[in-house]
Amino acid sequence: MGLSEALGRIAVRHAHVLVAEVPGHWLTRAAVERHVLARGWRLALSPADADILAVCGPPCPHLSEPLHRLWEQLPGPRARIQLESPQAVLPALLAAEQDLLDLTRQRADSRDRSPDHAAPGQAQPGERHPHEGHAPHEAHGHDHSHERPHCGAEHADHGGGDGGHAGHGGMGHAGMAHGGMDMAPGGIPLAGGGEDRDGLEMDLLHLRLGPVLAYWPAGLVLRCTLQGDAIVDAETSLVGVDDPAAPAQARPASEDPRRFAARRCDNAASLLGLAGWDHAASRARRIRDALLFTEDRDGPARELHRLRRMVGRSRSLRWSLRRVGPLDVQQTADRDLPDAMTGDVRDRLLAMLDRAAGGIAGQRPTGPSSGVPVDAIPDLVRGWDLATARLIVASLDLDPLVVDREVTHA
Amino acid sequence: MPEVTVLPAGWALAAAALLGLLAAAAACFDGYLTARTTGTSSSGLRQPFGEVARLMRQRRRTTVAADGLLWRIGGAGLLLMALMIITVVPLGRWTLFDLDVGVIWFTAMDVLAWAFVWLTGWGANSTHSLVGGYRFLAHGLAYELPLMFALVAPAVGASSLNVGKIAAAQQGLWFVVWMPVAFVVFCLGVLAIAVWGPFSPALGADVAGGVTAELSGVDRLLFSGGRYALLAAGAAFAVPMFLGGGSGPLLPAWAWVLIKTLVLLAAFVWLRRRLPAVRPDVFMEAGWIVLLPAVLLQDLIVAVVAAARS
Repeated sequence: MGLSEALGRIAVRHAHVLVAEVPGHWLTRAAVERHVLARGWRLALSPADADILAVCGPPCPHLSEPLHRLWEQLPGPRARIQLESPQAVLPALLAAEQDLLDLTRQRADSRDRSPDHAAPGQAQPGERHPHEGHAPHEAHGHDHSHERPHCGAEHADHGGGDGGHAGHGGMGHAGMAHGGMDMAPGGIPLAGGGEDRDGLEMDLLHLRLGPVLAYWPAGLVLRCTLQGDAIVDAETSLVGVDDPAAPAQARPASEDPRRFAARRCDNAASLLGLAGWDHAASRARRIRDALLFTEDRDGPARELHRLRRMVGRSRSLRWSLRRVGPLDVQQTADRDLPDAMTGDVRDRLLAMLDRAAGGIAGQRPTGPSSGVPVDAIPDLVRGWDLATARLIVASLDLDPLVVDREVTHA
Repeated sequence: MPEVTVLPAGWALAAAALLGLLAAAAACFDGYLTARTTGTSSSGLRQPFGEVARLMRQRRRTTVAADGLLWRIGGAGLLLMALMIITVVPLGRWTLFDLDVGVIWFTAMDVLAWAFVWLTGWGANSTHSLVGGYRFLAHGLAYELPLMFALVAPAVGASSLNVGKIAAAQQGLWFVVWMPVAFVVFCLGVLAIAVWGPFSPALGADVAGGVTAELSGVDRLLFSGGRYALLAAGAAFAVPMFLGGGSGPLLPAWAWVLIKTLVLLAAFVWLRRRLPAVRPDVFMEAGWIVLLPAVLLQDLIVAVVAAARS
């Protein structure tokens, strides 16, 4: 047995998995996360850190391009799996493990890859623009709306961001057709400028968050215009969401309270993960898994109570999240947000955990439309910095943007 | 009073190996704690070794118009810093470098973190990385001055900048007992230069890994290994500065240094699980309004006591 095989064998026992969720398949994502962590694998935050790309849900034509771009960024050895239901997760992970160990296949893969996408002048159209930003995930924010209709709604309230785009000859492909006048050697157009809060000229950077991003609502794309790391303008759109009317507004009346509670726990795990408290996030995730994949009732309720107490008592969390994204009663009313959204991010986190506890206790989710409309998001994040904006979006406790399409219970 | 023996330069390799062992122990402990909360079937103790194998096997990647040279320098720099720091830490009777200004040496090394972490964020030419890099600088603005003033306290207390002499000055009473504020601030500083625990927003999930967002393969290995090594080196440096160096009953001095280092290191690793990340803007307030005055007051008290003694 060669050294590289031995190395490979140890390496695959600690694989990192990047999870991409097709809207409407969050149960599959939850199953992937659960199995990945139970095997001692880790969840990757960016494609650079991942060995396996796990796509949860059937192929959606509008996500194939972003997913391909994501796949291209995995360093390799790499494996890609497609999971359509929670039951399919375990066999697919085993297959991916074999795939990572298959040296012949990995060698062929690395030979056939497009030459390092970093070669100057060879940047693929639309990829890694400075004005698009090119941090891991927003790279898939490649937008084909001008070529073919989006599968979802494109409710973009084109605001001031347009000026920025126009300066670069539009987005995506068009940017590359641009002449050499504002190109850096890498084939990258330079950033445009704009006035900042103090009226000084400052570079505008365009960054897309989503549709695939850790701790981010699947299918949501937030196009931000940044100055420094402050969001001066933002607009939302949805990718891979079929029915533009459906998102978030109408919760199915017959929703299982248990699943309702699990979703709250999932959202709480995201928020805690974003707040940098991995320990609490893991606990929230385990409660979610117990709700989704077991029949146990007392265990999760007890655990949730403990988590609620720990989060409520944490002084450093209170100190770190206080005054972040505050909304008063007037503001929530003006924006058609549910009453539960008043307060700052920490208040909303605690309310989220309380709703989860209510769900476990069997209370039916109240109100016909307690969800937050995605249109409200740009308004809420404008003026905050990137990190805070992420916390605010996570604190909105969004329901899946598409009604679940999965077969329940693994 | 035990004299410090300077070892020949060849022993630097042994010191590096020892630092590697400490860093590996920290990583194993972290793997164990993580495995316990995520509910993994395995113990998680082998996590760091698996991670090393994985990253050794992974391809390095690069990004469009990356500043390759600076990026790699930044990534490898943290490990270098940690190695430099331990050269002045006496292991019982032995040291590699009996520098008369050892405390200044540590300070000079810890400031390098500003450059190295930021360069790693800058080099990738990626938005999230760069945001992460600047977050580290924002943390730096808040932790660096308190950290430096915290190091002033033991130096004044021992009337020396030599690390060996500072350790020797604590024969009667450890400095941690009557300089608790300086000790806590020093520990915060060590967590911060290792981008660890509450000071990890530069690598946060909210910026997709921040500084490390674009690192893969051996580059990521060097950066992560460097963080653990810094944590270990910081804990080792705290031992002669605050924890009485090698003093202790029964066991030889070198064993006490190692034991104290391991305990402090374990506390650092454990702390990560207890605390959420502290946003840089919030910590800026704490750094300037609470920590800096508190540590200055501590220095004043130490100075008055030292003056009264002499």
